[in-house]
Parts: sequence; C-alpha cells; structure tokens
Amino acid sequence: MSVIDIKNVVKIYNDSEVKVHAVNGISLTIDEGEFTAIVGPSGSGKTTLLNMLGGLDHPTAGEIYVGGTNIGTLKGSKLIDFRLHNIGFVFQSYNLIPVLTAKENVEFIMQMQKVPSKIREARTRELLTQVGLGDRLDSRPAKLSGGQQQRVAVARALASKPKYILADEPTANLDSKSTENLLDIMEKLNREEKITFIFSTHDARVMKKARRVITVEDGKVIRDERKTN
Amino acid sequence: MIWSIAWKNIWRSKVRSLVVIIAVTIGIFGAVMLIGIMQGWINQRVSDALNNEVSHIQIHHPEFLLNEEMKFTIPGYQTLIDSIENTTGIVAFSPRVKIFALAQTDWASSGLVLKGIDPESEKQVSKIHENLIEGGYFDDESVLPSMVIGSKAAENLKLLNYEVTTDKLQKPEISELGEETLKKLQSLEGTRYRSEKDFRIALISVLSPHNYKESGDMLVRYFSFYRLRAKVTVTAQKITGELVYLTFRVKGIYKTNNTAFDGLTAFVRSDVLKSETGLGADDYHEIAILTESKNLGVTLAKDLGEKFSQYEIMSWKELSPDLALYSDYMKVFDLMYVGIFLLALSFGIINTMLMAVLERVKELGMLMAIGMNKVKVFVMIMLESVFLTLTGAVVGMIVSGLVLSYFSRVGINLGMWAEGLEAIGYSAIIYPYISFDVYIGVILLVILTGILSSLWPARKALKLNPAEALRTE
Ligand SMILES: Nc1ncnc2c1ncn2[C@@H]1O[C@H](COP(=O)(O)OP(=O)(O)OP(=O)(O)O)[C@@H](O)[C@H]1O
Ligand SMILES: [Mg+2]
Repeated sequence: MSVIDIKNVVKIYNDSEVKVHAVNGISLTIDEGEFTAIVGPSGSGKTTLLNMLGGLDHPTAGEIYVGGTNIGTLKGSKLIDFRLHNIGFVFQSYNLIPVLTAKENVEFIMQMQKVPSKIREARTRELLTQVGLGDRLDSRPAKLSGGQQQRVAVARALASKPKYILADEPTANLDSKSTENLLDIMEKLNREEKITFIFSTHDARVMKKARRVITVEDGKVIRDERKTN
Repeated sequence: MIWSIAWKNIWRSKVRSLVVIIAVTIGIFGAVMLIGIMQGWINQRVSDALNNEVSHIQIHHPEFLLNEEMKFTIPGYQTLIDSIENTTGIVAFSPRVKIFALAQTDWASSGLVLKGIDPESEKQVSKIHENLIEGGYFDDESVLPSMVIGSKAAENLKLLNYEVTTDKLQKPEISELGEETLKKLQSLEGTRYRSEKDFRIALISVLSPHNYKESGDMLVRYFSFYRLRAKVTVTAQKITGELVYLTFRVKGIYKTNNTAFDGLTAFVRSDVLKSETGLGADDYHEIAILTESKNLGVTLAKDLGEKFSQYEIMSWKELSPDLALYSDYMKVFDLMYVGIFLLALSFGIINTMLMAVLERVKELGMLMAIGMNKVKVFVMIMLESVFLTLTGAVVGMIVSGLVLSYFSRVGINLGMWAEGLEAIGYSAIIYPYISFDVYIGVILLVILTGILSSLWPARKALKLNPAEALRTE
C-alpha cells in the first residue's frame, strides 16, 4: 500500500535572477514499510524533495498525496497540524530543544498531540530504551554525543506515530561508528515496527543499508533500485 | 510545558536576562520610591494643612471671607450648632473669633491674625497644641490673658533672642568645641541679641572664620531662646469702630511645617477678644469642623450647605484649592515618570527578545517543522518576555516595598533644604507613602509593557519559514 504518491512534482526557485529548477518533474510512489535512501550529488535537489514530502515547502507544480490528502493544498495551521500527526522529522542538526532533557524532548511532541500523560511517559521510556538511551532519560542534549542526540531525535520522530519519517542527511555530522549505530537502530525500528523511513545521504555505507535507493540529479530521478533480500 | 520551556529559555543567556531583570527591578524601585516620596509629601502637606489650618469644613457669614470685617459674625449660632452636633460623621467643631490686628512688643511690631478660640474645643479640631516647641497651651491663666503664637511671628516680633550664658557654656553639648573657642564665646556673655543677624555678626567678630563656618549654625540655634511671658500688645478695632489695645502674655510658641502660617497666626481665648471688642457671647466668625475623614468632609460640606444656604459652608477643597490641585499635578507627574521608565524598559525588552529570537532561528524552525503551531511559538516568546519582566517586577516590588515601609516609619530627612521647604508649607521630613492601587498599577503596567514589547520579536519568530530556517548553510 502506498504512503506517498508523488506526481510530476516541480519546484522552481526564482528568488535570484536565474530560475533554479531544484526539482524538475519527479514522480514516485513510496510504500508502507520502505527503508529508502535518496542520493545524489550536492545541489541535485534531495533536500528540496524531502522538504516537499514533509510539507515544509510547496511544489511549484505537481501533487503530493499522503493517504489521499494533497498536502500541497494545505496551508497555515492545518499544514502544521498535518505535520504534527503524520510526519516524523530527523534533521541533520538542531533537532532537540536544548533546555529539555532527552525524555522531555520526546514527550514534548506527544504533549502537542495531547496524548495523556500516562501513555506519554510509558512510550517515552520505551522509545528511548529502544534507541539505546534508557539510561540517559534525564540528560540534556549538551550532555549527549552527536550520535546520541540523533537517536533521541529518532525516538522523538517515532513518538508521534507518524505515517513516515523523513531524515535529511541524519548522519552527516556523525563519525562512522555512530553512523552505523544510528542506521542499525533505524533499520531495526523499520523491520520491527514497520515504520517507513526516507532519508537522504551522501554516505556510501548508509546507501548500502537502504533497501531502495533513489538517485536524483539535476532535479530528476535517474535511477530507482530496489534490493531484494 | 511551554511555560517551563519559556522559563528555562530565559536562563540560556544568564547575563543578558539578569541585566533586564535588574533594570526592571531598579526601574520599579525608582518609580515606587519617587511616587512614594511625592505622595508622602503631598499627603503630609494636606494633612498638615487640614490639622493646623483649614480643618475639614468651615462655616462663615457669607460676606466674611470677602471682607473679613468684625461685624460679619455667624447669625443664629445656637441653632446651627445644635444641628451640627446632631450630624453623624462630625467629630468635633471649634467656633472662632477672627480678628486682624497689629501686634507690638517693645522691640518690633507686626500684623497678626488673632484667632479667638475656646482652648478645649480647638484641641479637638486642630493640632496646634501638639506643635508647641516652647511654653504651654492655655492651662494656667495669670492676670494678663495668654497668647499662643507662631514661631515665625514670635521671631518677627523679636521674641526670638540670642544670648551666651554661663549656664549654656558649661553644658556638655558644646564642650567639644574646645577650651579656646568657648573662651572666645565667653566674651559675648551679658549681651542679648534680638535678631539672628546681630548675633551672627557678633559670632563672626570673635570666632575664626574656620570656626564660624564649622559651627556657626549650630551656635545660633544653641544660644537662641524664645522670650516666653513677654508682653504683646495688640491694636484692634471694636465693633463700634474705635480702637482698642489688648495686652497678652506669650504663653506658648508653636511651629508647624508652614512658615507662612506660623508668621501670621496667634491664638487667644475667644471670651477675652469678644468682651474687649464688644462682640456678644454667641458672636463667632468661623466654625471649624473636623469630620471622620477628609473625603467625608467634602460630602458633609455639601449636605450642610444645602441645608443652611444662608451660610457659606466650604470644605477644605474649596478653602484650599491648591491642596486638591497638588494631588492632581502629582498624578500627572507620576504618569510621566512611569511612562518614561516604561518606554526605556520596552526598548530593552525588544532588544533582548529580538536577540533571543534571532539566535534561535534554527531551533524555532525545527519546532515549527515538527508541528509546534504559531500560537504556541508566539505564546512561548511572549512568556519569556513576561517572565523576565515579572521576575524583575517581583524583586522590585519586594525591595521597594521593604525600603518604602522602612522609610514610611522613620521618614526621609531633607534637613538641608528645610528652610526653603517650610517656607512653602512642606515638611522637611518625608514619610513616603504609596497607595496599594498605585503600587499594583505600576506592577501591572510593567507586565503589560513586557507583553507589548514582546509582540514584535514574537512576530519575527512567526514569520520564520521552517524550511529556510533549517537549511544548513
Ligand atoms: N531557498 C532557495 N532559494 C533558491 N535556491 C534554492 C533554495 N533552496 C535550494 N535552492 C537550490 O536548489 C537546488 C537544489 O538544492 P537542494 O538543497 O535541494 O540540494 P541537495 O541535493 O539537498 O544538496 P546537498 O547535498 O548539498 O544538501 C540547488 O541548486 C540550490 O542552490
Ligand atoms: Mg541537502
């Protein structure tokens, strides 16, 4: 079953003198439970595509359907609420609220969703344990390593029970060991909880972990490979 | 959660936040102290004026205040008094005979307002008997009738004299001046100086310039004394128009905070004045009334005025419009000061909050991206600003409350300007006072400023586009 249907999406930036076709006619279908990497050279349009899938940016043309909703038509607080309830985000950096502990960061998103506090607490504990931070619940981000911070971000993204999680270069700031560790955790969650992950990367080792690799160049999909294993 | 995030966010730049908090504290402290001092000052002036000069209500013959002639006494005195005695809210009243006269001593003369009173009734209405600095009230009468006179009037009549006496030279109070100085002062013994100026000239002639500069003022005060029991002869007019000469003995000297009043007013027994000037037993020019409160005085004056339209019945507000005016001026002044303070405060907060927003662009972008809606972002920024000001406000409130209540008990002494202040009727010791509603008003305005000044920075945060904010450069 498809989670996202991308139909002929185009994104043109024309705030400078020259028009930039950041995404130039992409059509894709993302199915439930995918573990998909979007790769491509710098400037090829990966971030632009992910932002549109995340409802952070509107396509210039084309449609993006998430569970039947064309998110390109959502605006303002409707769009923000849509993101809150349907999409999980892991960014390259600045993922966490620095004044809150790991536990509070994960709880925060469920609080915005108005999840009752009992459920919230149990789920937070469970998720942080799953990402291997069961013993760091009360640490503030500054006291955690980059890899640990990203794992908290993954737990936070999962906490809201989204339809899919978008991660734009989640490992860009991590060393190889932390990268592998984070990827293993994401993969495990994908396998065990059937969470759909879509992430962009430059890193060949990260690509290897993906079961589907979509290569973009100049705003176009030039390759779309699925590994069967 | 937003509350706690906002509170914690404040402490991310401790120094910056502390600067704002301290600024708010100082501002509130300054505002409260300034308003308190001004208000305390005005209150004192008003209560002094009410206590010593105008009381709450005065009743006159309708023409008396215009002409102030002897003949305009209050008609139907007994009936009026009966009615006043039965009015609820009236605490006491004092009937007065008021005569303008020329007073003379052996050394000087001066114009005086003679208030003929019944000493006991007057005690209930005015506080002259509490303001005696020398002598007594009308307690023991001798052959000559008594007069209680203002300190400045006594000075004008040269009843304030200066004399160096062996007695005073031996007292420990001035022993610290040293053997040599005391010896020099001794040479002035035996001469009585009738004015401050003469005495000062004498002091200058014996003391070294340095000594005079150091202790001149103190010596002038120390060797001064009022000539109690001196005779004062008063020239007044009888009701028939002839002149009459009355002789009194100075029984007591009073001093209020109003030099002008003290320089012009003397109290004597009304029966003496009446019999000597040919007024009848029930002839009075003025009835001064004390009510339960100054505000009640205003309403009662109106009620009585409607009931007895044949008299001129005025409240203190009409008798001394300046008193009411001062209070109004003071409010304008308070508003101006508070306004300037709030303006400065709002610049500080806008600046601080703008910095707080701009240095957190990525974080705010992330929060909006993951689903924090604009209302929550807005509230968070606003709360940060409110917490900042509120913290300063609470500290400022506590500090200024404590300091103010301390000084409201001990007073703030503006001794060095005493003379000038008392010349215009103000006490040199101020007991600051701030009414609760003004106090709360200042705090609320500060908080409101905190909210308003955060609007712009908060709006800046709302305009962030999460995708742009998060794009790593
Ligand atoms: N807000 C913007 N305004 C103008 N041009 C933009 C904007 N955002 C992206 N672009 C341009 O769009 C193109 C695609 O950028 P994008 O960030 O999506 O690439 P990317 O694949 O994520 O690159 P990288 O691997 O370096 O992150 C680039 O040429 C970029 O300069
Ligand atoms: Mg990118």
